[in-house]
Amino acid sequence: MKTIRFVLPLLLILSLVLSACGTPAATQSPAQPPAEQPAAGQPASGQEQTQSCGVVELQYWNPFTGPDGPYMGEMVEAFNASHPDIKVTMTSQGEYYTQLATAAAADTLPDVAILHADQIATHVFRNMLRPMDDLVAEMGISSSDYPAGVWAAGEVAGRRYSIPLDIHPMTMFYNADLLKQAGFENPPKTREEFEKIAAALTVGENKGFNITGGFPVMQIFQMLLHQFGGTEFSADGTQATWNSEAGVKALQWMKDAQTKYSEPNLEVDAELNAFKTGTVGMIWNGIWQTTNVTGAGVEFNGVATAVPQIGPQMAVWAGSHQFTLPVHRTVDPCKDRAAAIFIKYMVENSVTWAKAGQIPASNSVRASAEFKAIQPQASIAPSVEYAFFPPAVPGITDAFGPLGEAVGAVMNGTATDIKAALDDAAKRANEILVQNKATYGDAPKAP
Amino acid sequence: MSVAFARKRRISITPYLFILPHLIFFAVFVGYPFFSGLYISFFQYDYLRPEATVFVGLQNYLDLFHAGSVKFIEFWNSVRVTVTFVIWSVPFLVLIPLGLAVLLNSKLKGMKFFRAVFFSPWVLSCAVISLIWWWIFQSQGGLLNYYLKLWGFDTPRWLSTMPYAMISIVVATVWWTMGYNMVIFLAALQDIPTDLYEAAEVDGANAWQRFTRITLPLLQPVLVFIIITTIIASFNLLGQPMMMTRGAPAQPTGGGATEPVMLRIFTEGFVRPFQGSAAAMSVVVALMMMAFSFVNFRLFRQRD
Repeated sequence: MKTIRFVLPLLLILSLVLSACGTPAATQSPAQPPAEQPAAGQPASGQEQTQSCGVVELQYWNPFTGPDGPYMGEMVEAFNASHPDIKVTMTSQGEYYTQLATAAAADTLPDVAILHADQIATHVFRNMLRPMDDLVAEMGISSSDYPAGVWAAGEVAGRRYSIPLDIHPMTMFYNADLLKQAGFENPPKTREEFEKIAAALTVGENKGFNITGGFPVMQIFQMLLHQFGGTEFSADGTQATWNSEAGVKALQWMKDAQTKYSEPNLEVDAELNAFKTGTVGMIWNGIWQTTNVTGAGVEFNGVATAVPQIGPQMAVWAGSHQFTLPVHRTVDPCKDRAAAIFIKYMVENSVTWAKAGQIPASNSVRASAEFKAIQPQASIAPSVEYAFFPPAVPGITDAFGPLGEAVGAVMNGTATDIKAALDDAAKRANEILVQNKATYGDAPKAP
Repeated sequence: MSVAFARKRRISITPYLFILPHLIFFAVFVGYPFFSGLYISFFQYDYLRPEATVFVGLQNYLDLFHAGSVKFIEFWNSVRVTVTFVIWSVPFLVLIPLGLAVLLNSKLKGMKFFRAVFFSPWVLSCAVISLIWWWIFQSQGGLLNYYLKLWGFDTPRWLSTMPYAMISIVVATVWWTMGYNMVIFLAALQDIPTDLYEAAEVDGANAWQRFTRITLPLLQPVLVFIIITTIIASFNLLGQPMMMTRGAPAQPTGGGATEPVMLRIFTEGFVRPFQGSAAAMSVVVALMMMAFSFVNFRLFRQRD
């Protein structure tokens, strides 16, 4: 009896220990059912290339679980309608990179996948992406149609692994009503204007400029770091360099701005929620927040515009969604050709995608009259010329971890010595970069 | 003697057939992963890069004890966070359900209804309760700060400053899981023979004396069980901080002030591709929990 009383709970404990609480947040939502196939027997419309392949089915994955998903679904529908011999099925899901990694293990990766620019090198080194140099040449897509930085993000160890779809820059959102009340017709473009307006709007319960201690403060710091002439990493991605004089200036400015114009210690998204109540003059967040905090999303005149220039030179933080070809154990040339047609179509028709609140990466699409008619995207578009991207080395996003902690700690007041916080974070990031080098090696496995 | 022994050795297959279904699932979903995890903890291992698998011996473990390194700081910070959470949450998760169970064990009307009410949060998923409490604690129009402000109290930033971020997670967890412990306590209370209480009453014992002299001693085995399983459940904290604070606030020395060790292991093994090192962390945590539980059993057994 005694032993049973002892053994049973112990077994139970063992099973609990070993099974740990499941991950809660893995949401899976197959967004937007793709369009119906046009009736069979409808004549193929000039896709000679795929005729010998019959109807090619493509699986297309992306992380667009937000309000941008339906726009992408619309584009896929349009593609399916105009290409009877290709049937694309789109799947949008959360916990995206975990999904991709587990699919890679099971060889169930899709035929086309969207990746963020800073994730491409990592996924190349983890044997999840195929080079697409030949396909890109076949498609007639070239680097000259893209800003240099966004194109370079898809080149790893001398080979091309992606085609940029969009650039999503840091954007300033302002409450035009509050600005007007304080006598300002236009949003600030320079440091002087910004500080003047932010100070003027910080009255009573109102705040001129809200900034949090969580996402996206690190991105704001990166942007200001570049504006003050610094970089996060050495060009070869082996050293963290944000603890430069430029870095200290950037973070000091942010801390001062928080002290003077912002509520302290805001958590992630709190600046957005405060802005939406109409008591905050300006916030900086990703362009993807446009529908959330402007237009019908708010009860005042919320406007999105390009971020101002605080430092001596212009720079804008941005991310980019890019098309990639995932690895399969057996490569089907029919699918690759269909994927090329699909990707080219999506890039050329990315004006629809712009409506979701993104800036098309393609220079020619940005120059089109159709895109120029889309506001506020068109007026923010020039800022993508100043977009910068981290070096295309594997695991680079891990090395940003300590920077996020340092910036967060300074903004939340748990660290007060800015230089020391940045130094310490750089030291830890360098250690991570060494670990990465040791585990990933110098080049991906030969494809 | 030897005859009796031999007779005893004749194994009947029937009981094993009864446990076979569970044994199969246990072996597939718990046994195999456990030993596989133990095995890969000795390798530099990424399941997507089999070509890069290197046997590193105890290196993954040594890294965790290399003071000053990033792995050391992040791992032990997360262990500290988890232990803090255990210390803050377990007393509430034992005492509140015990109190509720004693109250609900009375024969008054409507008790079944309250049992259902107190138990109901437990049927919700981790993500759902985290979201509910996020809405209550968040700083812009969150329910709690709205009322605190209305009544003229301070309005702390519940999700981004310490110790409030930890308090938020503890409150959410207690609300969520107290019903489960309460049901176990209730079942145990109903096993206590009522004649004991009647006899005590005849002897003039008051309610408090009856509780401390009859209820508590007879509940002790269940109490030990609940304390130990609750400690282990609290050790496995993951979803609530993942959803509510995302580990915030960040700590200047590295790691987050509400980043539990399970989240650190997840990050190491799935956000970063260091499954060998993540496995080593899991083994260290499992050993800590086993040691902890062992000590617990010894402690409570001695008092028997």
